[in-house]
Amino acid sequence: MKLKKYLTLTRAGIIEALQFRLSAFIMVVGNILYLIIVYFLWKAIYASSGSDVVNGMTFHDTLIYLVLATALFNFMEMYTVWQMGRSIQSGKIVLDLIKPMNCRSYLFWSYSGNFVVNFFFTFLPTFIIVSAVTDGAVPLGINLLYFVCSVVMAIVINYSIDFFVGTICVYTESIWGINIMKQVVVRLLSGAMIPIAFFPEALRSVIYYLPFQWIYNAPLTLLLDGSPGTDKVLEVLGTQLIWCVVMTVLSKLFWRFSLRQITVNGG
Amino acid sequence: MSDIIEIKNITKEFKVLNRREGLLGSFKDLFSRNYKTVRAVDNISMTVGQGEIVGYLGPNGAGKSTTIKMMTGVLEPTSGEILVGGSIPYKNRTKNAQEIGVVFGQRSQLWWALPLVESFRILRDIYQIPEQNYKDMLELYQSLVDIEPLLHKPVRQMSLGQRTLSDILAAFLHDPKIVFLDEPTIGLDVSMKAKIRTLIHALNREKKTTVILTTHDMGDVDALCRRIVIIDKGKMLYDNDIEHLKSFFGSYRTLKVRADGDLREQAEVIQGELPDMKVWADDEWISVLVDEEKAKVLDVLGKLQQSHSIRDMKLEEISTEEVIKKIYEEGVK
Repeated sequence: MKLKKYLTLTRAGIIEALQFRLSAFIMVVGNILYLIIVYFLWKAIYASSGSDVVNGMTFHDTLIYLVLATALFNFMEMYTVWQMGRSIQSGKIVLDLIKPMNCRSYLFWSYSGNFVVNFFFTFLPTFIIVSAVTDGAVPLGINLLYFVCSVVMAIVINYSIDFFVGTICVYTESIWGINIMKQVVVRLLSGAMIPIAFFPEALRSVIYYLPFQWIYNAPLTLLLDGSPGTDKVLEVLGTQLIWCVVMTVLSKLFWRFSLRQITVNGG
Repeated sequence: MSDIIEIKNITKEFKVLNRREGLLGSFKDLFSRNYKTVRAVDNISMTVGQGEIVGYLGPNGAGKSTTIKMMTGVLEPTSGEILVGGSIPYKNRTKNAQEIGVVFGQRSQLWWALPLVESFRILRDIYQIPEQNYKDMLELYQSLVDIEPLLHKPVRQMSLGQRTLSDILAAFLHDPKIVFLDEPTIGLDVSMKAKIRTLIHALNREKKTTVILTTHDMGDVDALCRRIVIIDKGKMLYDNDIEHLKSFFGSYRTLKVRADGDLREQAEVIQGELPDMKVWADDEWISVLVDEEKAKVLDVLGKLQQSHSIRDMKLEEISTEEVIKKIYEEGVK
């Protein structure tokens, strides 16, 4: 069976991730610290603005958005760039290239176990706590289904961007700077750090035509909007689908082209 | 015997940045770069039959790994033709991967944090090995080496020898037609080396797997290969039976002795006594290169004992490096 080929990597990833108990624990603690900072930062921003509603969002809305964005970020962040950079530098990439699977899927599925672990250990608990504490601020209905569809496509877009940036390492053989830049750009322009609503109008319309906001902002918008109109849902999911296709094709082509340039040293 | 690997005149060139030296040079590099082309593999041709074990030798940087990477489909040759199992490796990388197994002595393809058996299960699924074949293979492994204790041990807790052994087993697991072993015995102790040689030999015999073995250890070659290919600086120097190599070079051995007095002076005296042999000295030993077809080592030793007081002696077989050095210096007749 074909699917088994991929799911076995997911399974291995889960087992592997569960081996490192301390790392999981530290991630949870770090997460909580980050959220505390977010809480006080935005409290100060709202206090200094002098009004309860900034850019159409109350303090409450902003906080829910950012907490869920952080949870989503922790769930979806893949560190692919970092990993590819290291494999290309050390030459370990050879071992990935000789697997009977194309390298792009191999790396994705090898990582996929972490999605499962992170979903159950970070996203789901955060989501449940936020729902319980805010008592009804997060609507639970058909929007959950839209959210799930949206997240799946967001993962594909996110991975394609990562893979594209990771491929650059074939040329630079150094990844640190590129990785940091990618992280900042994605976090800022995707809404994972600051809600898109807070950006100036001009920047917002530019962001609309970039792939980044379709990673975090799109699924969160669908989740937090209690009764989105059908046309809005179609618009969001449709645009995401287009970006999925575009980024997948681009990253695949770039990889295929770069593979011919690859020089693997030593050993 | 059908040919499984066919290589015709392949060449691989890399573009390497020629960096300038010093602070000013580094600064200049920011604006203008100057690349030079390095030819890692230069016009190599060979064919390998199904079930053969070929020793692929050459000094570090000779282009061995580059050739192997071309055969595995990781690198694309700059020119020339290469066929592995009838198809072009870099164009059908995924299909080719199904037919080959690779062990790089310095890197492990196993899942670091997991017990070995989990790695085997993952490989079973990604290579889509039928359950029955998988079971048979594990039974075969069990009959060759005692893998039971290894199976449940996480790879990161293994010794280098155990890990290498596991890596070799993993490479053979999907019953590939060809296995590339790149310095599999590097850094291993004598008994582990022997164990691994026996294992490779047995798997080759049982499964008719073609093995391409890269090594610097002449012991590996003697134990496993009947045919060797030597390359240096990307060029093929030798491709023939190992017997032929020995007869071509005569059977040279180096006799090392330690005598009383100043070694260098003694060496000159000995050179006078043995004019048709090469004699040299370092801080510890006086070395005499003996061609066994012309004189017996024991006779030489006996001769030396008559005129010098010898405190210690040892014999050295000619090493891979020396063979290659000799081939490179003298060429192949």
